[in-house]
Amino acid sequence: MTMTNPPDDMLDDLFAQARKVAPDPDDALVARVLADAARPQRKATPALPWLAQLRGMIGGWPAFGSLAAATVAGVWIGIAPPPAVEDYALSLLGDTVSIDLFADDFLTEAGEPADG
Amino acid sequence: MPLARLQMTAVSDPYAHTSDEALLLAYAKGDPRVAETLTLRLLPRILAQAMRMLADKTEAEDVAQDAMLRLWRIAPDWRQGEAQVTTWLYRVVANLCTDRLRKRRHVALDAVAEPPDSTPSVAAQMQTRARLRALSDALAQLPERQAQAVALRHLEGLSNPQIAAIMDISVTSVESLTARGKRALAAIMAGRKAELGYDNDEPT
Repeated sequence: MTMTNPPDDMLDDLFAQARKVAPDPDDALVARVLADAARPQRKATPALPWLAQLRGMIGGWPAFGSLAAATVAGVWIGIAPPPAVEDYALSLLGDTVSIDLFADDFLTEAGEPADG
Repeated sequence: MPLARLQMTAVSDPYAHTSDEALLLAYAKGDPRVAETLTLRLLPRILAQAMRMLADKTEAEDVAQDAMLRLWRIAPDWRQGEAQVTTWLYRVVANLCTDRLRKRRHVALDAVAEPPDSTPSVAAQMQTRARLRALSDALAQLPERQAQAVALRHLEGLSNPQIAAIMDISVTSVESLTARGKRALAAIMAGRKAELGYDNDEPT
């Protein structure tokens, strides 16, 4: 078996020819590139207001409506659970627990103010 | 106007010892002079890379302009020290070229133009062009990552670690991509051997 492999010889020759290709950019191309460079570029990342960013993330204004409705419903179910939800919570947790959010001992749990 | 003027300025290039990255950051800060220096430095290499992969002047020029445009655009967000400008450009040009090659796949393969009977040097030139176009068309038939790896290795003559950095893969992956790509390329090109004049001795 010889070391040379005809298709590879052809390929290697083609690669060598391709490597010799080194065209000088002509004036028209340079002018196009410099015209692009002279066009004012964005100065920094677009500083969208956070609301616009959020809107973009969740898919526009219509999504806000559903999001708001779901949030209100969730809060309401938390405040005034319908009996079915309460029963379910009972079966899941065994007991209902109520916490007074504004009680001193809750805010200062572990001996330190929670916001300190 | 521009190239001649650029070459004149190159003689007394005040940025001769300034890195591409520093120039890019200066450009982002609004120094218009550095755009010329960057263009003079980077455009020839970009154009050559595109020309080698595409074997088509118009397409290569469009890719080169597009790659430079992306460079201008990324300048304000360029993260210092993260990548070399040249590495980034190799990647952008390779991607733009495989995008073009993919579109070419869906077009009927052009019949390679027959060299018109004229002086031998013109005929040889035509044959070289036909061969390089055939190579480019064969690259278009490879999976894109293989085409990029083969082009960076064999058309640009880059080392495997350089290619790994450009393609953001391991050196082992580069080796496997180039090996498979070259084999596939050889298989495709084998069918066009006679047509491209590789049956006889090399005309020089």
